[in-house]
Amino acid sequence: MSLLRGLPEMELIVILVRLFLDFQEKLALLDSAPILDVPLGVISRIEKMGGATSRGENSYGLDITCKDMRNLRFALKQEGHSRRDMFEILTRYAFPLAHSLPIFAFLNEERFNMDGWMVYNPVEEYRRQGLPNHHWRITFINKCYELCDTYPALLVVPFRATDEDLKRVATFRSRNRIPVLSWIHPENKTVIVRCSQPLVGMSGKRNKDDEKYLDVIRETNRQISKLTIYDARPNVNAVANKATGGGYESDDAYHNTELFFLDIHNIHVMRESLKKVKDIVYPNVEESHWLSSLESTHWLEHIKLVLTGAIQVADKVSSGKSSVLVHCSDGWDRTAQLTSLAMLMLDSFYRSIEGFEILVQKEWISFGHKFASRIGHGDKNHADADRSPIFLQFIDCVWQMSKQFPTAFEFNERFLITILDHLYSCRFGTFLYNCESARERQKVTERTVSLWSLINSNKDTFRNPFYTKEINRVLYPVASMRHLELWVNYYIRWNPRIKQQQPNPVEQRYMELLALRDEYIKRLEELQLTNSAKLSDSSTSPSSPSQMLPHVQTHF
Amino acid sequence: MEFSELIRTRQAQAELLSGPEAPALRGTLCVTGHHLLLSPKPQATDLWLLLLRSVDSIEKRVAGDSGTITLRCKDLRVLQLRIEGVEATLDVARSIEALSSLESVITSYPFFYRPKGLRLGDAWHFHPLESYYKRVALETDAWRLSEVNEDFSLCPSYPRVVIVPRAVDDAALARSARFRQGGRFPVLSYHHARSGTALLRSSQPLIGPKKLRCAEDEELLGAVLAGARPGAQGFIVDTRSAQTAKQARMTGGGTESKAAYPGWKRLHRPLERGRHLQESFVRLVEACGDLEQSMDQWLSRLDSCRWLAHVQEALSTACLAAQGMEREGACVLVHGAEGMDSTLLVTSLAQLILDPLSRTMAGFQELVEREWIQAGHPFQLRCAHSAFSHARSKHEAPTFLLFLDCVWQLGRQFPLSLEFGEGLLLALFEHAYASPFGTFLCNSEKERCLCEVRTQTHSLWSGLNQSKEQRKLRNPLYVLNPSALWPSVEPQSLRLWQGLFLRQTRPPERSEEVWEKVWQIVTDEKTEDSRPVVSAPEPQP
Repeated sequence: MSLLRGLPEMELIVILVRLFLDFQEKLALLDSAPILDVPLGVISRIEKMGGATSRGENSYGLDITCKDMRNLRFALKQEGHSRRDMFEILTRYAFPLAHSLPIFAFLNEERFNMDGWMVYNPVEEYRRQGLPNHHWRITFINKCYELCDTYPALLVVPFRATDEDLKRVATFRSRNRIPVLSWIHPENKTVIVRCSQPLVGMSGKRNKDDEKYLDVIRETNRQISKLTIYDARPNVNAVANKATGGGYESDDAYHNTELFFLDIHNIHVMRESLKKVKDIVYPNVEESHWLSSLESTHWLEHIKLVLTGAIQVADKVSSGKSSVLVHCSDGWDRTAQLTSLAMLMLDSFYRSIEGFEILVQKEWISFGHKFASRIGHGDKNHADADRSPIFLQFIDCVWQMSKQFPTAFEFNERFLITILDHLYSCRFGTFLYNCESARERQKVTERTVSLWSLINSNKDTFRNPFYTKEINRVLYPVASMRHLELWVNYYIRWNPRIKQQQPNPVEQRYMELLALRDEYIKRLEELQLTNSAKLSDSSTSPSSPSQMLPHVQTHF
Repeated sequence: MEFSELIRTRQAQAELLSGPEAPALRGTLCVTGHHLLLSPKPQATDLWLLLLRSVDSIEKRVAGDSGTITLRCKDLRVLQLRIEGVEATLDVARSIEALSSLESVITSYPFFYRPKGLRLGDAWHFHPLESYYKRVALETDAWRLSEVNEDFSLCPSYPRVVIVPRAVDDAALARSARFRQGGRFPVLSYHHARSGTALLRSSQPLIGPKKLRCAEDEELLGAVLAGARPGAQGFIVDTRSAQTAKQARMTGGGTESKAAYPGWKRLHRPLERGRHLQESFVRLVEACGDLEQSMDQWLSRLDSCRWLAHVQEALSTACLAAQGMEREGACVLVHGAEGMDSTLLVTSLAQLILDPLSRTMAGFQELVEREWIQAGHPFQLRCAHSAFSHARSKHEAPTFLLFLDCVWQLGRQFPLSLEFGEGLLLALFEHAYASPFGTFLCNSEKERCLCEVRTQTHSLWSGLNQSKEQRKLRNPLYVLNPSALWPSVEPQSLRLWQGLFLRQTRPPERSEEVWEKVWQIVTDEKTEDSRPVVSAPEPQP
């Protein structure tokens, strides 16, 4: 890190979780205490720079590439073997998988007074949506992950489809990811269904069961005679997928469907785009022609396409009164982005803190977004082509929405940044592994702590003081480039020159507002209580403040 | 002159289409001397009214037996009128064209506007310069109020009174005035009590090719340093490049030489002005209104408009001036050529950065009145046309708008520190270009006196300070921040002012609605509770 160049000797302590540097001399350069606190999970790559013959200050040392848009560069002395030792220790604990060590989340013994693993209960969530009903049923066919190993155990499928039907449909869908219900509209009962691509292939194979199954889904909605299919990919990519056995639903095979392509690019394009963003913001911000440079990364354009796609899905369901089916290739990246964003637009429940946690838990974690592959938890293979910032892109879209609707979300920016920080940190089990079956095998819920435990024990920190609860309001963000902006507080937060102007007082004032509002609501409730029948006192003891182990601190 | 000569038709049947989603308004359209009004049938309860002066450009199209008039307003709104009858359309268009471009000040609408609830003369008692001097006098006795310009003879663009160093007498001021373009000799803009330094502004010295000097002018600047904290040095912030400043000597201008002004160091911070600024504004508005434009090129197009680059330059120059005072304990003199545009931009922004009082509702109004209106920013010339007009003269420049944009950026970066909100900035922008109030009329105090603006028109400040306006204008989250506000001027910290430039494209959630919700949250607390609102000041940065 440019800031740390030419620093005095430092002592490096690796406490398993964090890279913790304690500078022995004070730095005039930095206002705050010169402590660098980096979870080892965030490290993507460690490189030695310079050799025995390197001359000049700072040319010898370690260069650490992080997953969160920054690099750390440590200049070291050439004497002794300090660098070798440091390199080995860091490599060992930053990439435990390569050294047969457990990921830190399994060693973390933090305790919170809320159990985040209790947040998501699929049966309850489906019940909240009014399911099962006479068109949709809950099935346990995937209880042992035999139908589809990357799907959750519990699925919602059309009432009229038998378990045998499901098995036959599974053979025609990539990785057996059959169409299942994600969300049902509380009034018009149209649904969002998700799946993977059909295995059409070059020869244009058809599958009567799949065709019939889609027709059964269509028939659960009588308002519109067609089922709308959104293929998240660009048209050409969908066609190209036929070469590898995939494809899309053709008109002649699937009557009564309408197919649209949403032009969202694949994981590789997104990874390269984010790389370009990093190039223009780190270590220095590209100042001349900033906006043009930003444009050339195409990051905001990708955000725009994802949001536009989700808006179309939401609008089709809400105004178009048509059920929709969403898929991409495997149905775990772009599909998750689209369904979860559309659900966020349609259902105000997901805009609360717990609702959002449920949304992430349901559409991303349980439906097998491959967090382990996309993030590379504990894995040293930094160039793995499976890595991609798909979930980050989703959170960015949520942030864009929260910017456009400042009163619609219960959570604040810090909530989103905290989620992203722990996407990499490996401190919690929440984002570990690729799917529910793997998590179950590893007993993640028993052996690790959930990120939601941390968040729900400190809810006030993550609340938006301007939140005004509105039921049944559909949010349609404007996905025009004019209304999208780079999330500076996230992507450029490591730049000392960008540190947002006095964030603390703003937050402090917001907190005051929150406190006052709560006070007000409480008083109102008290008034209502005293006005109604005089009940016996029901004072509950206030919960104690969160207890955390002293040596583990969050960034904030 | 009779308005009736210019009005070709008085009435027509028309339909107003203001946006793609807003319901169209249908009714009888009337053209009066100052307004276009549309009264929906059958009863004129909900009258739509447009001040003709706010029309920037007009475009007419006829098809069949009706026509469409597109009115592009100075406040960047675009309105469409569909009118029955080809003749009627053409007549209405010609009438609007003629009436909207009238140049006479004394027949303009402010001289006829007599709203209920306001008395003529109210708020014109407000003398920001005198009241500001009272504040300075409490802090130091190095300055005095001079009436040397009582009859505007010394400097036609200065007000009657100015604040000058106590050690310099009026005779010396008169000679200094002759050595400065347009007579704009150095005067006090802001006294920074904490560092004991002063911010001054003037126009360029008339050095000319012969390198003239003026003893009194040198003495004046010397007195400034002598009256400041001991050992203070001075910075002259010239808003032109060193080369332009040097070239100005050929036409009689120039910039202070080091030898003639000991203790003063010159810094050049070129700011774009005049035509270039106007062109940038026009290009930006064009880009914002261009809905066909392929969106993947929006950012580079925004970049090429260079508007945000101007915002950045203005803010960073203001930071430089403010830093000179606060951090280096130096006195600062700002000037460019005429000292009526970028100079005022820099001095007024520097005050906002340093002075917590100028960030209050009343303080900001005082700042605008003192540093822009009374300081002689030629509003009538600069704001004659906005971004749409084709009839462009070389005097137009959106300097004041640039100032408002910079203030908006400050407010965005320090959401709690300004007592006013975006609403006030938008209102000032609209009124500067076309207004029923007299505040922004004319180019100087002298002209305003000749036109009797103070006695014959209402002041915008009394209009804005009516209690019904307050929710729109104030920032519900304001808490006094006693420290300086150092904005980040990195390009990634600056944003397009969407509330203004994208007002034609409907935002997802209107900011007024958002602020109304915030107001509800804030006032619920205040009214519900006798307890004072906890409002810890923002800690020092």
